[in-house]
Amino acid sequence: MEKQTNSQRFAAVAVLVFAFNMVLEAGEVRSQAAKTKYPRMAPVEEYLMADRNAEIALARCAAPESISHDATVLVSGRHGYKTAVEGKNGFVCVVERSWILPYHDSEFWNPSVRLSLCQNSPAARSHLPLTFKTTELALAGMSKTQMFGSIKAAFDKKESPMPEHGSMCYMMSRQQNFGPKFGNADPDLMFWFPRPYHMAWGADMPDSPVDVHQYSPQPITESTISVAKWADGTVAGANQR
Amino acid sequence: MNSNRFARVAAFSFALIFAFAAPARLAGQDNKTPYPSMAPLDQYLIADRHAEISLARSAAPEAISHDATVLVLGRHGYETAVEGKNGFVCVVERGWMSPADAPQFWNPKIRGPVCFNPLAARSVLPTTYKRTEMVLAGRTKAEIIEGNKAAFERGELPQLEPGGMSYMMSKDAYLTDHDDHNLAHLMFYTPALDGSVWGADLPKSPVMLNPQFKGVQPIDVFVVPVGRWSDGTAAPVM
Repeated sequence: MEKQTNSQRFAAVAVLVFAFNMVLEAGEVRSQAAKTKYPRMAPVEEYLMADRNAEIALARCAAPESISHDATVLVSGRHGYKTAVEGKNGFVCVVERSWILPYHDSEFWNPSVRLSLCQNSPAARSHLPLTFKTTELALAGMSKTQMFGSIKAAFDKKESPMPEHGSMCYMMSRQQNFGPKFGNADPDLMFWFPRPYHMAWGADMPDSPVDVHQYSPQPITESTISVAKWADGTVAGANQR
Repeated sequence: MNSNRFARVAAFSFALIFAFAAPARLAGQDNKTPYPSMAPLDQYLIADRHAEISLARSAAPEAISHDATVLVLGRHGYETAVEGKNGFVCVVERGWMSPADAPQFWNPKIRGPVCFNPLAARSVLPTTYKRTEMVLAGRTKAEIIEGNKAAFERGELPQLEPGGMSYMMSKDAYLTDHDDHNLAHLMFYTPALDGSVWGADLPKSPVMLNPQFKGVQPIDVFVVPVGRWSDGTAAPVM
């Protein structure tokens, strides 16, 4: 009897804590939206790169030349990504824009963000479609809320694929730009997994070179490993963990 | 330039040794290596149990290894010295966890501290137990490799769990007789893939394919050097 009372009490407290957290999170999102320098999408032109060759070069510098030289390269146009170079090693290099960042990120609509990635073949098949979908929604003029809902629905209905085993990418461009807070950050390798896996990689612990990001609404876990050098072989600087 | 880097990496027994000798060739090779056969068992053991525990833990940052299970090697195999609570298992591996044709397979100086994450502890660490058991039973290298292979084929060793990885960031590891003897790195275990899928072993790529289980178990081991030792101090950049 007492056990039941305790568990009821625990449940009630848990509900209250959950509700309180939701209120806090909602407030935080509103507050971030109010504070950000980029509250909404800028004109499309600001996200595009006028020089197609510059975009190809920027995409390729995500990985060492030995990988990116034979990779497929995509460039972004007004209606989404198009293949600029057909590759032959299974890697696909692309410059992602700010809307690939988490929805709560203050740089979500920052048009200067340029994130170069070279995804391996499992990722190109199973993770790159998320980039295509998100970009398509952004370029169609959808709000963050609409994009969130559409991506969630795509995963709920299993229209969007989950990362295949072994999905990873190189993100080692010295020229990448995460926005004013992180700049070009660190050279990283990124690995993607379906969220149901409890990865237990020791991420985000002091002195661990592993970071983990749980994205939402996509049920995907992203682990990043800081590496010591940029794609051009130069040693990374003080940002490295 | 790149060949120098490659040569240095290749020196690390747990990282890269490129030659997958058939068992029939092993005896011939053994005659050329400074460690042709097993040394007296005592040379592989660490007399100070606490030192072995510390060495095992040094494979990963303290935030991870503090709550890990720690194993130590005794005359009858690995035994649990510390019960952990975060699912990681830290252990000091010996030379026989190298690829079959690695010259340091029987090198008694080899000390490879590893902290396996829970997925690897369940699905990769059993191979360490199996090989060690055969070593302590006095088997030859060829018998150990064959025994490892047969054990997997008979289902006595588990299938690899997705997401298995380990930390090898100990400043005090001894992985090879060459150079600095050491390399701070992470290891990722995948089903056998073409190494090119991860861009491994290409110039300036930070990813290397370790043939540790090549021809024995369908596991690929990808090695990613990191710029720091487990204590947070800077490690040599390759």
